[in-house]
Amino acid sequence: MSTRTRHHWIVRLTHWVNVVALAVMIGSGLRIFNAYPAFARKGETFCCYPFEGRPIPGALTFGGWLAGARNWHFAMMWVLVINACVYLGFIYLHGEWRDLVPRRGDVRDSWEMVKFYAFARKDHPAQGKHNALQRGAYFAMPIVALIAVLSGLAIWKPVQLSLLTNVLGGYVWARYWHFLAMIALVVLTIVHVFMVFAVDPYSLRSIITGGYDESKSPERRNARPFWWKAGVRSGVGGVGPRSQPQTPDPTPQTAKQ
Amino acid sequence: MTLDRRRFLELSGASATAAFLAACDSMGPAAAKRWLMYAERKNEGVERTLLRHTSMDGARRSAKTAGRAFPTYFVSEQMPMWDPASQGAWTLQVDGAVKRPVRLTLEQLAALPRRTQRVNHYCVEGWTAVAAWTGASLSDVAKVVEPTADARYVDFASFDSGYHESWDMESAMHPQTLIAYAMDGRWLGVNHGAPARVHSPVKLGYKNTKYLVRVTFMPERNGGYWSDRGYEWYGGT
Repeated sequence: MSTRTRHHWIVRLTHWVNVVALAVMIGSGLRIFNAYPAFARKGETFCCYPFEGRPIPGALTFGGWLAGARNWHFAMMWVLVINACVYLGFIYLHGEWRDLVPRRGDVRDSWEMVKFYAFARKDHPAQGKHNALQRGAYFAMPIVALIAVLSGLAIWKPVQLSLLTNVLGGYVWARYWHFLAMIALVVLTIVHVFMVFAVDPYSLRSIITGGYDESKSPERRNARPFWWKAGVRSGVGGVGPRSQPQTPDPTPQTAKQ
Repeated sequence: MTLDRRRFLELSGASATAAFLAACDSMGPAAAKRWLMYAERKNEGVERTLLRHTSMDGARRSAKTAGRAFPTYFVSEQMPMWDPASQGAWTLQVDGAVKRPVRLTLEQLAALPRRTQRVNHYCVEGWTAVAAWTGASLSDVAKVVEPTADARYVDFASFDSGYHESWDMESAMHPQTLIAYAMDGRWLGVNHGAPARVHSPVKLGYKNTKYLVRVTFMPERNGGYWSDRGYEWYGGT
C-alpha cells in the first residue's frame, strides 16, 4: 500500500474555498442576470443568445433580489480572486504546475483516453498524476476564470476601464463573454464532479485529507466511467482488473512529489 | 424640538439601519451583512481611485439610438409632471455649501455652456440604452454658485415623491455629468424627467435623478432613494 499526500493542504483549502466562492458568484450572478435576462441594447436585437428575455429559474439563483445579489457578487469576487492568486502562486512556487500544464503529445494522449473510455482501447494509457484529458480540463479552468474576471471588471467599470471593455467588444459583448465564461466553468465543474464519482471516487479523500492510495488509481484499476472493479484492498491481496502483479508505477516521468 | 448633533446622528443611524434591514432580508445573518457592507466600503474606495475625469463614455457608432425603446421610470404612482399653473414656473434650486446659491430658470440653464453627448445609459439591471443628451455640465453650474471648500458631496433631489440620490463631488464634476434638458435633439419629455434631469454615463441609472428641482452641495453624504434600500451608494461605472 502506498499512501501519500496527493494534494498539499494549500491546494485542498483553496479548492474548497473556490467551491463556495464560485457557487455564490454563479448564483448571485444569475440573480443579477434575471433583472434583465437578455443581452440586447435597448432598441436592438442580439444575435447570439437563443433565450433572450427568459429568466433563469429562481431556485438556481442566490441573493434574493437584485441589490442583495449585487452585494454578494461584489464582495465574493475578492474572495474568488485572492483565493485564485494564492492557489496559482502556490502551485507555481511549489512545482505542482508541472502536473497541470499541457505537454507535447497531450493531443494524442487525450485521443488515447477517449478511445479507452469508448472501449476502443483495452488498457488504460499510462499517466502521471493526471491523465491528458484531466490536464486539459484543469489547465482550462484558470484560463476561463481569467476571462470571467476580466469580462466582469469590464462590465463593472465600463467607463473607467473602457479600454478593457472596448477590447472585449463593448459593454454588451463583455456581458456576453462574462455569461459564456460562467457557462464554461459550470460545464467544466459538472464534468469534473461526474468523473470523480464515475471513475475515481477514491480521489475524494485526497482533496479532503490529502491521502490517496496509488494502488487504487484509475490506471491500476483500468477504470472507465462506471466500469471498473474495486481496487486492490491493501493487505488482502485482491486482484485488479488487469491480472498483472502490482508493479511500480510504470510512468516514472512525473514522479514529482 | 431641537436636535443636537448626537441625537441627530442616533436618529439618522437608526433609520438608515432600519431601512437597510427592511430592504435586505436576503442578506443573511448579521455577520454576513457586516461583511457585505465592509466589502461595499472597500469597493467604493477602489472605484473612487479608478475615477478619472479624462475617462469618457461614448456610444459605439454602430449602436442604435434607443429612442422610444428607452425605458421610462419613476417612483410615484403616476408620471410626475410639473404643473406651472399650481406650482409656478419650474426653477432649479442650487444651494448648500456654496458661496452664491441660485435659482435657475430653464432659460438660464439653457444659456449656460451647452454640451451634447451621445452616450450609454448603464442601468443597474444590466441593460444599456443609447441617447444623445444635451444640457449644462454640472461643473459649469458649479462655477456659477462656487461651492465652498467643505463641499464634498452633491445631492440631486426631484419632485418625484422625494426621490433623490447623493453623489461624491468627483463624479459630479466629471465633464460628462449633465443637468440635461434635451434628449435626442428635443426638449426632455415628461417620461424621461422633464423639465431637467441628471444624466451621466459615469454613474448607474438610479443615481441619475430625474424630475430635478434641487442640487445641494454638502459636506456629508445623505444617501439616496435606492442607496437607502440596499443598492450600493457609489454606483459608479
